[in-house]
Amino acid sequence: MTIALIAVLPFVGAVFPGLMIRAGRNACAIVTGLVTLTALILLASQAPAVLRGEVVHSRIAWLPGIGLNADFMLDGLGLLFAGLILTIGLLVILYARFYLAARDAMGQFFTFLMLFQGAMLGIVLSNNILLLLVFWELTSLSSFLLIGFWKHLPESRQGARMALVVTGSGGLAMIAGLLILGNIAGSYDLDVILSQREAIQASDAYLPALILILIGAFTKSAQFPFHFWLPQAMAAPTPVSAYLHSATMVKAGIFLMARLWPVLAGTDAWFYIVATTGLVTMVLGAVIGLFKHDLKALLAYSTISQLGLITMLLGFGTVPAATAAMFHIVNHATFKAALFMSAGIIDHAAHTRDIRRLGGLRKAMPVTFAVAGIAALAMAGIPPLNGFLSKEMMLEEAAHTVWGGNPWVLPALATVGALFSVAYSLRLIAHVFLRRAQPTAGTQPHDPGLGLMFGPALLSALVVAIGLLPMATAAWLVDASASAVTGTAVTVKIAHWHGFGSVALWLSALAIAGGAAALFGFPRLLRLWDATSRPDAKHLFDVAMAGAVRAARRVTDGAHDGTVTRFLAIATVVIVGSGVWAFRSGTHSPGLRTATSVEPVAVIGWLVLMTATVALLFHHRSRLFALMLVGIIGLIVSVGFAYLSAPDLAMTQVTVEVVTVLLLLLALNFLPKTTPDESTSGRRLRDAAIAAVAGAGSAALIYALMMRDFAFPTIAAYHLENAKALGGGTNVVNVILVDFRGYDTFGEITVLGIAALVIFALTEMILSAGPANDRLMALKPNRGDAGDRHPLLFVVVTRMILPLALMVGVFIFLRGHNLPGGGFIAGLIVSIALLMQYMASGFGWTAARKRIEYHALIGAGLLIAGLAGIGSWVFGAPFLSSAYTYVDLWPLETFELATAAIFDLGVFLTVLGAVMLALASLSRLAVRSGEDINRAPYDAPLQER
Amino acid sequence: MTRPCRKGDTVEALIALAVGLMTAAGIYLMLRQRTFPVILGLALLSYAVNLFIFASGRLLRNAPPILTPGVTAYSDPLTQALVLTAIVISFAMTALIVIMALGAWLETGDDRIDMDPDP
Amino acid sequence: MNHWIIAPVILPAVLAPLIVLLMRNHLGPQRAVGLAGTAALLCVAVGLMILAGKGDPQVYHLGGWPAPFGIVLVLDRLAALMLVLTAALALIVQVYATVTGWDKRGQHFHALFLFQQMGLNGAFLTGDAFNLFVFFEVLLIASYGLMIHAGGRQRLRAGVQYVAFNLLGSTLFLFALATVYSVTGTLNMADLGVKVAALPEGDFALIRVAAVLLLLVFAIKGALVPLHFWLPATYANAPAPVAALFAVMTKVGLYATLRFGTLVFPPQTPATGSMPGDLLLPAGLITLIVGAAGVLGAGTFSRLSAFAAIASMGTAFVAVSIFTVPATAAALYYVIHSTLAIAALFLVCDLVSRQRDGDSLRHALPPMARGGMIAALYLVTAIAVAGLPPLSGFLGKLMILQAGRDSAALIWTVILVTSLVVIVGLSRAGSVMFWKAHEASADNRPRAVSEWPAVACVTVLLLLLAALSVFGQPVLEYTTATAAQLYDTAPYIAANALGEQVAP
Repeated sequence: MTIALIAVLPFVGAVFPGLMIRAGRNACAIVTGLVTLTALILLASQAPAVLRGEVVHSRIAWLPGIGLNADFMLDGLGLLFAGLILTIGLLVILYARFYLAARDAMGQFFTFLMLFQGAMLGIVLSNNILLLLVFWELTSLSSFLLIGFWKHLPESRQGARMALVVTGSGGLAMIAGLLILGNIAGSYDLDVILSQREAIQASDAYLPALILILIGAFTKSAQFPFHFWLPQAMAAPTPVSAYLHSATMVKAGIFLMARLWPVLAGTDAWFYIVATTGLVTMVLGAVIGLFKHDLKALLAYSTISQLGLITMLLGFGTVPAATAAMFHIVNHATFKAALFMSAGIIDHAAHTRDIRRLGGLRKAMPVTFAVAGIAALAMAGIPPLNGFLSKEMMLEEAAHTVWGGNPWVLPALATVGALFSVAYSLRLIAHVFLRRAQPTAGTQPHDPGLGLMFGPALLSALVVAIGLLPMATAAWLVDASASAVTGTAVTVKIAHWHGFGSVALWLSALAIAGGAAALFGFPRLLRLWDATSRPDAKHLFDVAMAGAVRAARRVTDGAHDGTVTRFLAIATVVIVGSGVWAFRSGTHSPGLRTATSVEPVAVIGWLVLMTATVALLFHHRSRLFALMLVGIIGLIVSVGFAYLSAPDLAMTQVTVEVVTVLLLLLALNFLPKTTPDESTSGRRLRDAAIAAVAGAGSAALIYALMMRDFAFPTIAAYHLENAKALGGGTNVVNVILVDFRGYDTFGEITVLGIAALVIFALTEMILSAGPANDRLMALKPNRGDAGDRHPLLFVVVTRMILPLALMVGVFIFLRGHNLPGGGFIAGLIVSIALLMQYMASGFGWTAARKRIEYHALIGAGLLIAGLAGIGSWVFGAPFLSSAYTYVDLWPLETFELATAAIFDLGVFLTVLGAVMLALASLSRLAVRSGEDINRAPYDAPLQER
Repeated sequence: MTRPCRKGDTVEALIALAVGLMTAAGIYLMLRQRTFPVILGLALLSYAVNLFIFASGRLLRNAPPILTPGVTAYSDPLTQALVLTAIVISFAMTALIVIMALGAWLETGDDRIDMDPDP
Repeated sequence: MNHWIIAPVILPAVLAPLIVLLMRNHLGPQRAVGLAGTAALLCVAVGLMILAGKGDPQVYHLGGWPAPFGIVLVLDRLAALMLVLTAALALIVQVYATVTGWDKRGQHFHALFLFQQMGLNGAFLTGDAFNLFVFFEVLLIASYGLMIHAGGRQRLRAGVQYVAFNLLGSTLFLFALATVYSVTGTLNMADLGVKVAALPEGDFALIRVAAVLLLLVFAIKGALVPLHFWLPATYANAPAPVAALFAVMTKVGLYATLRFGTLVFPPQTPATGSMPGDLLLPAGLITLIVGAAGVLGAGTFSRLSAFAAIASMGTAFVAVSIFTVPATAAALYYVIHSTLAIAALFLVCDLVSRQRDGDSLRHALPPMARGGMIAALYLVTAIAVAGLPPLSGFLGKLMILQAGRDSAALIWTVILVTSLVVIVGLSRAGSVMFWKAHEASADNRPRAVSEWPAVACVTVLLLLLAALSVFGQPVLEYTTATAAQLYDTAPYIAANALGEQVAP
């Protein structure tokens, strides 16, 4: 459990800074430090066992379903990295406490820092590669937040985003790679995977897995060609640069390569990809670094170069090389962190990081000079400091490694890299400290207090200590980690002197001499460098990003511009197309039914229908006429229903038709009366083509269906059989509606009710103050048009037929269960009667006499229908079960009263309420639009064109 | 298109053609740029589909599904019930979209159905 | 027969009319009844989930009519899962709408909200194809009302478009159902499963047409490219809480696809075979790409959220298209995640825009009150939406990647690359909205401070996501069992007791 606790502690600790900041900056920093210290102590408590060669585990099941578990392990490698993360973390926290300005949100900063620390610990302690992925992405996220900490600076926002994009994409590639690796090994647990070297390297998926994983590692560790994000990340506060971008996070990639070294290393692919990348990165970083004038940029490129060195060593795939890599990790962490902190100190003191403006700080800041100088010399690999030792080991390995059959390439280039790192290290010392002071912006730089100085000083002391007594100070750690990486017991022998016979000696001598020479020739070299044109990776990145965004905007704003007509066209084409495809891709046997012969009268009706439809196509722009045609079409359809033995359909269609047309008429009262002719002939042609294809498709489909028999007996047969016996009605359609499928009807009237409510809400919206209302007020209803003044007779007749219509409604309602009719039709008939009142006598008049709240009607109707259904629960029967009996009500014929009738009553009320509410809404609009005549009791012009 | 050839001169053929033409007309009107024709088009489409559903129960003359002693042949009552439901629902939808179009017209002052370029 | 099965439909069907009948002019009671109703629905749903977890599907024969002649409701694990998801989301969103006063800005908000849930629940529960259509219409018309709630220029026009597009969809649905009935002579879904499998070869072509048309209907609901065009304008212009609720509406399309793809047109059915999967995989991938591109290119936060919703549907449909138990389990897990995550995104969008004039991402807007808090909420939500660890989005994607390893080259590439695009888009948006804030002219002051209750609602959603991650295993076990139940159709069909009298 301890291991898991170590990884979790920082996440828990991330809560405190935010809270403690109220208690002051010191409290905040101390709490953060204490958390880290606790983790460090816990780690130390485990160290002895690890050094004995054991591997400490702690397992927590998380998502075994996908092989993702919170399994942690601590071995030599983990110990090395966890140790680095926590010790340097501690120093950075101390440093940051004094580095951050008063206006910086320190609580936030430490919270982010702890999140990062936890994520980083998670990576190095994971025993499950999926878990490792989780933490891996978390480091990208937290570094995003830390780099962007100074959010007011554009460069820090950009730097943060670039780091996230580069490392994030690497992480995604790594997901794929690790999943493949897991598939090969049959498990995502590291210790299982690490035990399957042969299986993995034999698999065909080895190379893709390797490449994908390496992309992840290279992006994280800023290896060429992904190195460009690291210099941009220098926009972060210096503690972040020191912690994430030199000592820990950028080494995550290194860690991953070391972690998977036993299973991935040793193949040619590994050697040529990893070693070469490392070599190139080392040389390139060193060369560029020499010519950077920003102190932090110089350090950033030197970091890139040093990481390249370590990568190359791992790439060699030999045990000694891996050992050297481990040793250099320790050394680099010490001197580079020290240098970054010093850079921050200099920045604070001299208010600039520009080397060209710095100088003479040896006198002004002696302590800083000592600290930074030692670290820089170590970076240059000057004996006896620790940098010298590991660099010698590197050169030794390089000297004995053949690249592509050529024994010279590696040692030569390695030496060049070393040479330039000597050069930039010396330049740092010489230009910043030794040469005489440049005319800086009038400030008097001086050494900072112990708070800032402690961290770098301690690290430089370590540099010296490791340098002088490597075997006593570092060897044990190197042994432990190297053994863990290579899986073989390593006992390293670190010495300063290998005799004149050692190639490394001469190579590093060469490097140091050359470096010194390069420093003297620096001005000339600089001119040369500035003269040469170089591709700027950051620029390329920005261009690519901008292009992506532009393309994306074309998709978003171009294709999705709200042109619904195009969307509908596309949808239609897709629908018809896939329908045709589906048909053609299946076997079809033509139907065998004998067609129904047709009488002339039907043909005539049909012709009327077709003509009306065609006419509609050509004259739809004059809206009244179009509406009339639609009415005709609807009527013919209903006649067709009657003709084809569907009386209920016919009645419903007719009544619905009337109501619909009336509603549209009333709406048209406000809308423009004509549709402008605005579509080009090309557009019309396109639409016509689409429409024609769709029509042909539907016609063919229905014809094919009508001409064949059902593959199986239909469920309708059951309905015909049992309508009377079990449903108690002879009108099977109605029995289906209120009984067999009453639930459908229940849903259907709900739809109707909701529609009415929405219409009402909408009207309220329009009538409330706003542009709509203003436009309504402004709207002058056009009158005085002869032909639509209703003769008195019409008004009187409508008033008289009202009670009659109500009677008919009741009759239709009651007989519905046995003969065509029912609640729905009855509801429509009654509403039509009332509708005619509106038309004849005017909105105002009728509205004034409106007795019932239509809302209440709808609510009541839906409730009655619902309760009628629930009622059957009382008898333990399911929802909407019905029972019935016969009633003889003079003068009406004997009719049967089913509980279904109660349900049907609900239908009736809902329909009535819904239609009338919709209508009333329209009438209110009319009244608002200043229609006053119709308030008068009589002879009201119907506002319709 | 308006006159079928003799041989195909059956109720089925006529219905199929009617469905086809109404669908086509509906689609065409649905693709106009103003709300009113679009609404008419959708109404027409609903006629077409209602006829389609009805016909999918096969056609039968003089056989209303009203149980009467001695009669054995009835047209399919289920599809008729389905059409009734469909009619009601499409009526509700039409009523709603009419008022919505009206509201949009009053709010914006024009009855285009497409969005204004870049809100 | 267990009457609780129909409660998720009846409860709102009774409460909403009550509100209309008795308290249409009093907001207070409306809120009380509305919230109480949704809370009750949540309880019922959880109860049903436990019930469904007990074993085989349970059937409710409406009107006591035997299947396939009457309509049946079927409660199985999938239905229960969707019910719980809907109710949970609805409750949070409704509370949000209440505390932010969104419900005051128009009529009948709570009634419509209940009707919306009635429609959703009905669609999830029904075992009858035509009844599915009816409840699609119920949920649609309620959504029309909610979408244009509070009105406004753009919103009304977008509303008209939304209605028009869906009317086309509904018409298509009817064409498809008529075809289905005309070939098989039945509407009960279990019965359809039996009949379609037994169809004579001569009917294959026609039933394939029906199948494809149905898939297209569901694709419209599920916003699959190229039938997704209705979504951006609708979601971006809908009131934020409504858009948040709509996060579950697209899932109805996915649910129906899953239901029909496993019960009626399963891969082993000769007539349709692997057709559904073959169509859904490319569509899902393209949808994912379009959605991701939209996240990167969107000019406003609300449009960004809409495209994020499209991307999430793409991912889910990719998983569905594989039609194996693990893949479907992964899809369901991801559906739960994306529903909550997208909803959270829309609510955060509301928190941001209610303080500023608009939510543009093209130029910086002034700083907000409680900006840090909102930024933090955005960060976590973005992590969830982008599918980054440690939240459930990452886990869901891992599941899908593992389930899709057979066609890894394609599925993995698209999913991983689009993830990157989404990350970039969200990070750019965040840095404009929160980091660049100070660069905006300070003259237009923050309008309304986002109240703590509103913030709390978002936090609850995010906590649910966290729980989904921490308790990933039990959830995955449930979805796996659900998927297994979907592919083992025999118990489902048996539960319908086709042709047998219903035991009282």
